[in-house]
Amino acid sequence: MFSDFAYLIVGLPVLAFVLCLFFGWHLPRGGGFMTVLATFVGLIISWGIYKEMPALPNGILHQSMPWFANFNVGILVDPLAIAMLLMITFVVTLIHTYANAYMDGDPGAARYFAEAALFTASMLGLVYSDNLLQLFIFWELVGLCSYLLIGFWYRKPSAAAAAKKAFLTTRVGDVLFLLGIVLLYNNMVSLNLHLAPGEYLLQFPVIYKYLALIPPTQLTFVALCLLGGAVGKSGQFPLHVWLPDAMEGPTTVSAMIHAATMVTAGVYLVARMFPLFYAAPNALTVVALVGAFTALFAATMGLTTFDIKRVLAFSTVSQLGFMMAGLGVGSVVGAASVGISIFHLIGHSFFKALLFLCAGSVIHAVGTNDMREMGGVGKYMKWTAYTMLIGGASLAGFPLTTGFFSKDEIIVTAYEYGLAQSFIPYLFLVLAAILTAIYTFRLWFVAFTGEPRSDYHKHESPWLMLGPLCILAVFALGFGIVAQGGFYDYVGTNFDHYGVNFAELGVIGGHAIEDAEGVAAEGEHAVAAEGEHGAAAEGKEGGDAGEPWYIQILPIIIALGGILVAALFYYLHKFDPSMITSERDPIRKLLLKGYYQHEIYTQWFAEKVIYGTAIVCNMIDIKIVDGALNWISEVIVAFGGGVRRVQTGVVQNYITAVMLGVVVLVVVIEIALQVGFV
Amino acid sequence: MISNAITLMIAVPLIGAVLCFAAKSQARIVALIASLVPLFISLQMYTGFDKTSKLMQFVESYNWVPSLGVKYTVGVDGIGMPLVLLSTIVSVLVVIYSWGEHDRANQFFALLLLNEVGVLGVFTSLDFFLFYIFWEIVLIPMFFLIGNWGGPRKSYAAIKFFIYTHIASLIMLLAIFGLYFTYRMPDGSRTFDMLTLIQATSDKVLFPPALINLIFAGLLFGFLVKMPAFPFHTWLPDAHVEAPTAGSVLLAALLLKMGGYGIFRVILPMLPNVDKMFVTVIAIIAVLSIVYGAFLALAQKDLKKMVAYSSVSHMGFVTLGAVAFTWLSIQGAMFQQFSHGLITCVLFMSAGTIQHTVGTRIIADLGGLADRMPKFAVLMLAGFMASLGLPGMSGFVAEFTVLAGSYATLPFYTLIVIFFSVAITAAYHLWSMQKVMFGPILPKFLDVHDAHTYEIASMTAFILLIILFGVQPALITDIMGTAAYQVMEPVKTLAQMGVI
Repeated sequence: MFSDFAYLIVGLPVLAFVLCLFFGWHLPRGGGFMTVLATFVGLIISWGIYKEMPALPNGILHQSMPWFANFNVGILVDPLAIAMLLMITFVVTLIHTYANAYMDGDPGAARYFAEAALFTASMLGLVYSDNLLQLFIFWELVGLCSYLLIGFWYRKPSAAAAAKKAFLTTRVGDVLFLLGIVLLYNNMVSLNLHLAPGEYLLQFPVIYKYLALIPPTQLTFVALCLLGGAVGKSGQFPLHVWLPDAMEGPTTVSAMIHAATMVTAGVYLVARMFPLFYAAPNALTVVALVGAFTALFAATMGLTTFDIKRVLAFSTVSQLGFMMAGLGVGSVVGAASVGISIFHLIGHSFFKALLFLCAGSVIHAVGTNDMREMGGVGKYMKWTAYTMLIGGASLAGFPLTTGFFSKDEIIVTAYEYGLAQSFIPYLFLVLAAILTAIYTFRLWFVAFTGEPRSDYHKHESPWLMLGPLCILAVFALGFGIVAQGGFYDYVGTNFDHYGVNFAELGVIGGHAIEDAEGVAAEGEHAVAAEGEHGAAAEGKEGGDAGEPWYIQILPIIIALGGILVAALFYYLHKFDPSMITSERDPIRKLLLKGYYQHEIYTQWFAEKVIYGTAIVCNMIDIKIVDGALNWISEVIVAFGGGVRRVQTGVVQNYITAVMLGVVVLVVVIEIALQVGFV
Repeated sequence: MISNAITLMIAVPLIGAVLCFAAKSQARIVALIASLVPLFISLQMYTGFDKTSKLMQFVESYNWVPSLGVKYTVGVDGIGMPLVLLSTIVSVLVVIYSWGEHDRANQFFALLLLNEVGVLGVFTSLDFFLFYIFWEIVLIPMFFLIGNWGGPRKSYAAIKFFIYTHIASLIMLLAIFGLYFTYRMPDGSRTFDMLTLIQATSDKVLFPPALINLIFAGLLFGFLVKMPAFPFHTWLPDAHVEAPTAGSVLLAALLLKMGGYGIFRVILPMLPNVDKMFVTVIAIIAVLSIVYGAFLALAQKDLKKMVAYSSVSHMGFVTLGAVAFTWLSIQGAMFQQFSHGLITCVLFMSAGTIQHTVGTRIIADLGGLADRMPKFAVLMLAGFMASLGLPGMSGFVAEFTVLAGSYATLPFYTLIVIFFSVAITAAYHLWSMQKVMFGPILPKFLDVHDAHTYEIASMTAFILLIILFGVQPALITDIMGTAAYQVMEPVKTLAQMGVI
């Protein structure tokens, strides 16, 4: 019954978008209640579908209709999609509720809620698209909403610039994504498949079914191109530069788009196409390295920033790196890695949305983003302080919080990957986890403890804002321990619904060969090869049991150690950062400058290389292309000027000219006849 | 169904143009009515159009100059129908956009209608003689629009436009004569019938390689200049910069499409009969138009010039999709013609509205206009997003289809286009948007008002159409799918169809 209304999950927010855009100006709080309501109904429908799914054919919901040429539009809800749908509708409902208070009094509130509704629709559409083209369409639309909402305060030059930077940087990734779709489409076409009615080349079930027939090198090209799109959207190195700047938008936007939902789309894309990545030789290795490196790289920058939102932004980049790495290690543990990574994705969306909303609550009261001007906020904003503490603990991986289960699962799996292939991702992730605990609690201690360092408004935020904080805090705390086991199994076996044979794909991807030599991975693949239901997940659990005890408890030590270090520096003030570094320390300078990314990307690449090329092209156009034309016309005019003198008025001259003309004409016609033109 | 629909559709604006000259003060109302009638007729034709048929529809044929084999033959198929629809839509909305024009309004609106006569004639003619007449008719209203209502360098621009495109037309005419004088009907007479002549080019005895290549090059030159494609594009920015807004809109939305139409109608059916080198040449021209055009747009300081170069870049997709010669790419190229026709209107209208509300189009002199022109800002942003290929709007569908289809036969060229155009196109649109619209409002613009209602109405209509065809492209591509098969197959002449 709910399945018949799946289209409303996107339809209602679209309606809310139109209503807010045209009528929101006349409604209280810009008509924000419509956006909340549309999303909340989406949550109910998603929950209904979740309950109905086991009874549906293959346990998935699939609806499709033709679009144009040989493309279709459709809805595909499988365990992977429903997990995302539930998370997005739930978190976004809370954020919209919070925004009703946060944006109250802003003259652009109606525009905000219209754009937020459009974003909600696009994001949900992205998640349950049944084909790659449609996913790309919504992918671009969430990018548009991100652009609009980052630049929400468009009168501010920095906001307008950040919006443009976000769009263009992700666009670079989208170039590759588009290329990946074109490559995949043409590879599918060249297979000359006889598709059943209702099947289309770019549909996910069709791709899963036939991808084993595509040449492996082509698969790797496609996978790397899609990864390029994911790198742009999910802020992975080297296209992560836009995400910290994106904090120019309202804080609710940062929570919604740049923490909980849109930026995870890249991870979702890789998870959605996991069978293809698995079958493509070396693709997952790249995913693992990119993810692990980003996790560490961004965490180092999080250490030195003083803008509270930028710290959280770097943290988001870092955590997205964890998720990517979690998928990358799938070359050893198989599809179970999808469950592990998506679990972190969902846990992260709870605690990171919470952290951003708390930060918003603080900024709302204090009126600045700079942590150095806060201090002691906890005394006046108890609810905000404690919910943020929960969020921070979860992010840092404090034992038994959600982040503890989700992040540490990735680290432990990376150890398995290390045994089979390489320890580099494991090493990066462990270092990143230590830094995560440190920068998170640095933030909390600096902002909430100590004495006020500026004269700010000392009041708690309204309950419309605190309510969502408390609900999110409950999930940031308890979701992990409640959902852990069942979730891995549920999402990790997503591709069994399509009958994807990972053993066969592993042979194409070259993973099976490594198994013969590798030690740890052998067991899992033996199980996976049997093709039993849930085999991959079982294999995963089997792998877990085999880890030495020190690997198992290392994450706890990391989290507690990091928190302790932060407390020593910023709460107990036993040490001072200046004891380790000075202003002239090159490493510190490098970090403060953000690894000179602005200089390299904006000032050198965009302004010198790209704009320089444009200027050169313009010179060529004026001087050469148009110049040649002007030259020709000058020659003709000059010729005309010369010919004018021929008109002497002397009849004999004219007769001579006519005779000459006749001779020339005869010769030309003669030649033409010889050649055979006439 | 209306009989003689096409003739009626061409005749009404022609009569309307005459009435406009006469009607001194009420010219705009005459123009609106005279452009609404063709729109109504073309919608009737669209609903009555047989989407599965590969034949010419709504054909009318009368003898005109029998001794020379000249006939008045008109008709549409999947190539012409969308462009007829586009022409009638754009003509109405341009009249609405120009509602505030008071400078010699009667002549102005008459020229707009005359332009519609010309383009409708080009898109429906099936006789080369008639085709050429309409092709040249189009030059006249545009020449006067630029020359009389243009900017400071209007004379230079008008003459450059006229001479450049006229020379190209003459070379095209020579090529048409080449066809005409070579082919004889079975009864020994000559004919200007387009489909017959095009079909005849497959005759290797009648048209030896040297001859057919020469004729092909002549036709191609005529069409590429009109598109315009690199390196024949330099007349376009000058014409656009000086032309009045309505002139620019018609120029970019309809006149450029004549070149593309010629490619589909004439060039593609001949392509299998000519030297294979032509494919490479056209593909290189297409790629250079797209990439080089995009870089040029990025370098411009005048908003309108930027939009003009973006046309060069976008029309390159038409050439690329056409020459890639796959079912999907040809459809994409045809859809790009239609889509660009809608999108470019919004862009030129944006530039025009800024020019006459603020007084300048130099990007560096503008800033923060969104503050005072919120409605206009939304429409301009929507237009720019459409132009940079945002999904959900028609431009994306067209460009994606071209790229997906072209990769099969021209992988290398397609790769270059994807790598160098997608991001650059976004860059110049967003960069100019940021400079012109966002940031703090400049003090000198504090008393600027939002665009006029008729301008807003016209632009809104375009945006809605762009979204409609972006969400439901099948409305148009269903017609084109058949046409795409048709240009890849031997052409069926009217005689074979049993029409004449």
